[in-house]
Amino acid sequence: MNARTAPPLPPSRPSRTAASLWAIVVGGVVIAATVGLRIDWSELGDVPGDVLRYSTLMFADPNWERLPRALFEMWRSISMAWIGAILCVIVSIPLGMLAAGNVGPSWVRLPLRVVFAIIRAVPEVIIALLLLTVTGLTPFTGALALGIAGIGTQGKWVYETIESAQEGASEAVRAAGGSTAEVARWALWPAVAPALMSFALYRFEINIRTSAVLGLVGAGGVGSMLANYTNFREWDTVGMLLIVVVVVTMIMDAISGAIRRRITGGPRITEKRSRHVVGIR
Amino acid sequence: MSTRLIGASADSVEAATAPLRALDLPPRPRNRARNGLAIAAFALFTIATCVPAIGGIEVDLGALVRNWSNGSGLLVQLIQPDFSFLPRTLEPILETLQMALVGAAAAALVSVPLTLWAAAPTNPNGVTRHAVRTVINVLRAVPDLVYATVLVAMIGVGALPGLVTLFLFNVGVVVKLVSEAIDSGDHAYMEAGRAAGGSQLQINRATALPQSWPLFANQWLYALELNVRISAILGIVGAGGIGRLLDERRAFYAYDDVAIIVLEILVVVVLIELVSTTLRRRLV
Repeated sequence: MNARTAPPLPPSRPSRTAASLWAIVVGGVVIAATVGLRIDWSELGDVPGDVLRYSTLMFADPNWERLPRALFEMWRSISMAWIGAILCVIVSIPLGMLAAGNVGPSWVRLPLRVVFAIIRAVPEVIIALLLLTVTGLTPFTGALALGIAGIGTQGKWVYETIESAQEGASEAVRAAGGSTAEVARWALWPAVAPALMSFALYRFEINIRTSAVLGLVGAGGVGSMLANYTNFREWDTVGMLLIVVVVVTMIMDAISGAIRRRITGGPRITEKRSRHVVGIR
Repeated sequence: MSTRLIGASADSVEAATAPLRALDLPPRPRNRARNGLAIAAFALFTIATCVPAIGGIEVDLGALVRNWSNGSGLLVQLIQPDFSFLPRTLEPILETLQMALVGAAAAALVSVPLTLWAAAPTNPNGVTRHAVRTVINVLRAVPDLVYATVLVAMIGVGALPGLVTLFLFNVGVVVKLVSEAIDSGDHAYMEAGRAAGGSQLQINRATALPQSWPLFANQWLYALELNVRISAILGIVGAGGIGRLLDERRAFYAYDDVAIIVLEILVVVVLIELVSTTLRRRLV
């Protein structure tokens, strides 16, 4: 009876003391970091104005006369990215396979994984830069450097893909008397090939960006052209180059993305074909 | 196929003794034309990337071997880090970390409204949504160091252009990933808000935002991780941080100093990743 007259109390609000404390700590650290930076914050107000002014210089009337040269250099960057991706994939697939838990012996697996982890932890550009100093700054060495710098991530993707593949097929091949190599060829490869191809294309997409960066430090390609014209302060050419980089990168991303979806998702079943399938049943 | 199988198994002894021949396997799917086309396209593209006349790269193994003999000494230096150089690296690495944190924090603030603008459930207006998405996609198509190069030329050498670079890059990453996650989510609770007569702003405030905090926090931490890596290289183009020192020592061929810097970056990156992973695991 009492329960009917007195409405039930709403549940008490969960305590937020801990969350608030954390928020204060994080906020304090961020403020300390902001104050500690040697930046003249009065300049910050000028930044939007500066950016707007230079953007007008760059994009109001881009210098299209140098477009052929820009496309030439862009193709050089794409070539670096492509060759680098091929090298990276060729090296990382066998290494990644050996590093997978169900393929390689542990004395191979663990050192490989440590190497992958180290390459992964150091930014790619730094690895490429160090290699380039040794091998000389040319587009070809740039491609080599991209190939090596990408092994860490690519190798990890390969062994993770293989480890997540279904065990059934491998067991079947093993039960039929297959060796490790045969298991890799007939059970693992068909299961993981689409994912690996898709990762390879993804590596190409990443490399397009990184190759532009390598150009900035002198490996050639569109990055070198961009760095030069930025130093000359020829803003109309810089604007044109930025447009070229953005448009071409987005087009390459779109193409590569479409191929990746086709590889992993399979063909789109058109209405005609699906009716055919129903007809058979 | 199945009818044939049953027919065969119920057949005479003859079929049972030669089962494999009787049940000849279905033909392997063959797409010779399609596969041929794919391989041809791959080969053509690869060849086109190796033609220097149109901008492709010149595969020159000879030069590589020559340079290698000159440069291999540097790699030997690289495995002998000079620890006496360590004190000089502390201030730049601190600046790198500060830039990473401040850039991520500033981007985190800006990313919330932009994300709600860029996701379909929280912004039914197609025009503004596509406008925000296009800007974000263009932001993302420019490589980070390219930003930094142009910004250094605009604003001047120092940590400020680096900070702006990190900020722009983080906004791109967070808004894209979180708005896509919101797009793909199930939004029954927003319908409840609409049924109760809330405006879009009220619905977003009361339902979408609390639901999205973990997504946001996850991507903010991810952005911080990326920032530590990027801010380590920003200095190469003059945008502050440890990269400047690294580039300077590299230019002097002082690879023993370079080794200690790389080692330091490695340690810092791994530490930040550990912290970030622990925090993210607690969030999810």
